[in-house]
Amino acid sequence: MIVLGATLAGAQDRAQVTTVNYPLQYFAQRLLGDGAQVTFPVPRDVDPSFWRPSIADISAVQAADLIVLNGAGFATWVDRVSLPRSKLLNTSAAIKDRFIVTESITHSHGDGGSHSHEGLASYLWLDPTLALAQTEALAAAIVARSLAPVEDVAAQLATLQADLEALDAAAQSALDHLTGVTLIATHPRYHYFARRYGLTVVSMEWEAGAMPNKAELAQLEALSRDTEATILLWEAEPPAAAFEATAALGLRNVVFPTLAHSVDGGTFLETYAGAVSALADVAPK
Amino acid sequence: MNALYLAFAYLRYHWGRSVILTLVAALILFVPIATQILLSSSERALVARGEATPLLLGSRGSQLDLTMAALYFSDERPDPIPMREVEAIWDSGLAVPIPVHTAFSSAGFRIVGTTLDYFAFRNLEIADGRGLSVLGDAVIGSGVAATLGKGIGDTLVSAPENLFDLDGVYPLEMPIVGVLAPTNAPDDQAIFVDIKTAWVIQGIGHGHEDVVTAAQIASGSDTVANAAVVQYQRITEVNIGSFHFHGSQDGFPTSAVIVVPNDTRSATILKGRYLDTEGPTQIVEPAGVIQGLVDRIFRIKSLLDVVTAIIAIAALAAIGLAVFLSYRLRAREIATAVKLGARRGMVLRLLSAETFTLLLISTCIAAAGAIIVSRNAEAWVGWLLALGS
Repeated sequence: MIVLGATLAGAQDRAQVTTVNYPLQYFAQRLLGDGAQVTFPVPRDVDPSFWRPSIADISAVQAADLIVLNGAGFATWVDRVSLPRSKLLNTSAAIKDRFIVTESITHSHGDGGSHSHEGLASYLWLDPTLALAQTEALAAAIVARSLAPVEDVAAQLATLQADLEALDAAAQSALDHLTGVTLIATHPRYHYFARRYGLTVVSMEWEAGAMPNKAELAQLEALSRDTEATILLWEAEPPAAAFEATAALGLRNVVFPTLAHSVDGGTFLETYAGAVSALADVAPK
Repeated sequence: MNALYLAFAYLRYHWGRSVILTLVAALILFVPIATQILLSSSERALVARGEATPLLLGSRGSQLDLTMAALYFSDERPDPIPMREVEAIWDSGLAVPIPVHTAFSSAGFRIVGTTLDYFAFRNLEIADGRGLSVLGDAVIGSGVAATLGKGIGDTLVSAPENLFDLDGVYPLEMPIVGVLAPTNAPDDQAIFVDIKTAWVIQGIGHGHEDVVTAAQIASGSDTVANAAVVQYQRITEVNIGSFHFHGSQDGFPTSAVIVVPNDTRSATILKGRYLDTEGPTQIVEPAGVIQGLVDRIFRIKSLLDVVTAIIAIAALAAIGLAVFLSYRLRAREIATAVKLGARRGMVLRLLSAETFTLLLISTCIAAAGAIIVSRNAEAWVGWLLALGS
């Protein structure tokens, strides 16, 4: 009982950090080590971009010492809940000029005049150089809020950034021969990844990990024909029948997790490296 | 002892006259003391609120209007400043900025749009319910709850800003999710919402039926929906997902920004950045502004003191006259006492005892009144200050 009590007390004494996606949770854990409890509260079966937190979830987030946001329009729930501004960190505030605008629609209603809804690609971490910038912002916020000793954070940041640079270099080397090759993605998540490595990715709007219906397969067939693409990127692993159906269209399937959630059995770096390796393997040499 | 007994018996026998004399004397003693207590409490309350707010950022103009709007939620409407000013202070790392949006009201109480940092800054505690969580939530001060008789589960509707802007400012129904513990400060008389909710009231953010299809987004076309598109006037679990804001948050308005510097050096640097008299914004020290106001009030208080003194002298003269006349009326009674063998000293002692007893009872009543005022001064002053706004 005493040991349990001491453990609980220790957990309560530790800094509490909440993030809006898995990559930021991974980065925060790497920077803080055991000195903080880093949570990513979105359930595994929910897309973190469109999570609808309950009042209890919001209370838990409000209680954190640091709330780490991705920015770039990721996690729109943040705009509809009350969070203490002093605890918020937008990790992409310094890299706004590197955002990719995806769509823009202008509409009006009533007599209020017209206005635009600009879409931004938000999966920044799929470009490791942008992830590097996010880790720098995160480390600065941790130090500013005294959540960990400065020297420890600096050492952890150096290691993490070295890992991300190595990941980037490995991906560049592995995907070098894919320049000019068109890929089809089941969901529009790979903008920053494609830009970083000079890939051409055409996206559809399929549900992640689901069996495509006939219309979707017809759309894929037409897209494949128009673009001469031979590789299909899946956000999450679908049923085996889906692989068979797309393979029948002459496409090679690659599961490339977007890592908004963690993938069982692998860290951010391991999963990313594994996905890059799988993509490089199926690509025509 | 006998003189006191006889004096009390006399006063009791003439109870009507005694009561009037006692009350008049008690009032003469009580009024200046109570005025002094209330004014001192007012000064403390005003100055304390000002001193608890290190710096205030707002549009250039009347410093008093800015301070009254941001600290006391008065009816003054300083020109709004853009939220990029808040971000600029965040980016400086010199202070914590807390925006305060006070443009709207509901049921006669000011709606204060702010961030959760405000509650921590003012040490406001939730007495009932919970704090702000989602867009549209409202937390009310204890005074609002008592006056309107509303609590958790009830709703408030924002009032249109003006009759000529019915299209621009839609009334928004806000559920009350929490009631604050009393603070005897203007916070008791305010309705708190997230600043994003204030922007929804302002029409900068809104929720409506989906007017944009996926195909239109894909083609990047313009879509025009007519006025029949339903704009939601209540934020619910079902429609909250449709609420959105137009434009960059940096350009959204706030009435003022409470600035809490990290230290004296940071405060000095920040003040230096807003010295340009041509700039659209100014930074003020509310304590100084409030002290100026208090000084003005106390100049009026000096006048009040003179008036009170004149009235007190007149009242004392009236009492003296009443006592003198009563002695004249009792001339035969006194003469009879002397004939019965009472010495002049004895008669004098009897009259002195009567006067002393009257003054003693008056003093006790005045002291009791002063104690009541003193104990409730903070609450009454808080209410009076809020009433004034």
